[in-house]
Amino acid sequence: MPDFDPARWLRRTLPDELGRAAQFAAAAGRMAAADAGLTEADLGASRCHVCVGTTEGGAFELDQLTEAELINGPEALDGALARKVPAQSLSLAVARELGLTDVEAATIGTACAAGNYAIGDSFDAISTGDAEFALCGGADAVSRKTFTIFYRLGLVAPDQCRPFDTDRRGILTGEGAGVLLLESLDSALARDARIYAEVLGYGLNCDAHHSTAPQRESVARCMELALRDAGVKPDEVDLISAHGTGTRTNDVTEALAIRDVYADTVPRVISLKSMLGHAMGAASALGTVACALAITGRFIPPTINHRTTDPHCAIDCVPNTAVDADLRIVQNNGLAFGGNNAVVILGKYEGGYEVAP
Amino acid sequence: MMDITAWSAVSPYGVGVQHFAAGIRQQRPAMTWADPPRAGGHLVPGFDQRTVLGKKGTKGMDRMTGLAVVAVGHLTQACPEPGAALVLGTTSGSVQSSMAFTRASLTGERPFDVDPATIPSTVMNTPAGQCAIWHGITGPNTTIASGRASGLLGLSYARRLLRAGRARTVLCGAAEEYSPARSWLAAACAGPAGPAVLGEGAAVLRLEPEGAAGALATVLAVDSQLDTAPVVAGRALCQAGIAPGQVWAVVSGTRLERDSLTGMFGHDVLDRMPPVGELIGDTGAVSAVFQLTAALVVAAGQPGPRYVLVLSADPAGTTAVAILRVAA
Repeated sequence: MPDFDPARWLRRTLPDELGRAAQFAAAAGRMAAADAGLTEADLGASRCHVCVGTTEGGAFELDQLTEAELINGPEALDGALARKVPAQSLSLAVARELGLTDVEAATIGTACAAGNYAIGDSFDAISTGDAEFALCGGADAVSRKTFTIFYRLGLVAPDQCRPFDTDRRGILTGEGAGVLLLESLDSALARDARIYAEVLGYGLNCDAHHSTAPQRESVARCMELALRDAGVKPDEVDLISAHGTGTRTNDVTEALAIRDVYADTVPRVISLKSMLGHAMGAASALGTVACALAITGRFIPPTINHRTTDPHCAIDCVPNTAVDADLRIVQNNGLAFGGNNAVVILGKYEGGYEVAP
Repeated sequence: MMDITAWSAVSPYGVGVQHFAAGIRQQRPAMTWADPPRAGGHLVPGFDQRTVLGKKGTKGMDRMTGLAVVAVGHLTQACPEPGAALVLGTTSGSVQSSMAFTRASLTGERPFDVDPATIPSTVMNTPAGQCAIWHGITGPNTTIASGRASGLLGLSYARRLLRAGRARTVLCGAAEEYSPARSWLAAACAGPAGPAVLGEGAAVLRLEPEGAAGALATVLAVDSQLDTAPVVAGRALCQAGIAPGQVWAVVSGTRLERDSLTGMFGHDVLDRMPPVGELIGDTGAVSAVFQLTAALVVAAGQPGPRYVLVLSADPAGTTAVAILRVAA
């Protein structure tokens, strides 16, 4: 986000005191609270839960420290910069920006599925009564370290990200933050809130197999866990927002896992990363936000840059152009290095917020 | 609300619970090792991940991951837990590995002249992911990156997993490595009083729903806020249904934490044992887990059940408290 100006969004926290990913998180938290129609006083009067997922935390700042160390030696490291490195700064930035004190502010560092992890944990925090409002999602900033990792693994596309395409060559790195505000249905109805969607459930599991290669059976199992948690049958799902990185391995493994679960009722499967790049810890949070917007806006976002669908994937990825659709149940996948899978299921709330297509 | 039924510790006292328990019972400062920027650091004596775990599957493995794999292994080897959840705390992952990786990119002939075997050690969730691979744990696998309070925020997270029925057992702990990079960063962040002496290690608790057979302790309450220690401790006690006068010991990590509760508890309760960090150093993300395991050690030999308050205050702002009832 070359033109991101944190001062435009932040009211309480000072941009200079936050790392780049924390700025993204705090700005998104501020926007989410405003979009929900909740003031600082509303939130401050309730027990809140803040959960931000991230792959890299303050890696952007750690890279700067590494560069400074090469030039000036380790004795001269800048303390103000070093304090921005720990990942907890992301969730604390959201809480501070909104002036919250009665809040559990946790950062989840489960790599590229972390956004869905945070949404799932917040769903449990609301449903078990730990909090009345939850601000949850993910944030990450592109860094030299991250780009080098993906590049060295041969996973960066030379031109565009083409998920599910025969000629897909990998990801494009992205950055940003996505934050959702969750509350119980009773709370939303009582304050006449605009309801984008309902979180119906989620699933988590671990491949326990390989640090970078996803495992088909385990990814399928995670989707089954999420569907069971949501009380939804596969043939009731209208859309899957895939992890869909655009790498050779991910897309075919994920598509096969989807076919294992959905058999002959595979819904349309899209990848938002074709448009957004791979925003790492923010990716699945942005995916869940997009799923909610798809439900309220009655459309399916497309998989862009698409030319020929890989026959090994064999899914309808809604190539290049959005289509109108009345979506009732939508699934959002998040898969991470380390074999960490997190799948969130959203449902349309009848009588909820709608936007004309 | 949930029980602690087992624990493991790889600490500056040594590899294994017996070393940790002996050191804590004797209130003996762990051995100090040379630490270039400052006076010294408390390292896990003799620990080398490739020696302990063998050469297979450990190429490029960082120290933090090695500590975590050994500590989790002590629990799963005693009682295999294929479907358990694993919740591990961290601060920033292995900053030593991350900085070395970026340095290689900056100084190599080409910016991508980096060793791919070291890539996993630069990612925060690698300790948890590797523990799953080494010990075959396929349940929810979560990395809580919340600094010193990670151990108690991990307890809160684990409680939700159990309540929501996402696991029947949660292995909940944290790992932190000593490294020159962590030491230099700590020195840069320190105030005028200078940085704390660093420690390292990994510790893990096995958590099950309340009523488990052979429970060592029950976690009665966990609370965290961006507020002062007395406020958070007061609410946690209220949630646990315990009066301040019933608390037998406060287990803090630092003197500052202990002193923040002087208005609430007498010296006998506050000084039942020294702040754990005074004995084993600042163990970062694992500090609160070591406080929990220390609470289990000091209260276990008592004639009856004891209520223990564990306090963790991260300098970044989170204050967290857990209330335990430790079985006799």
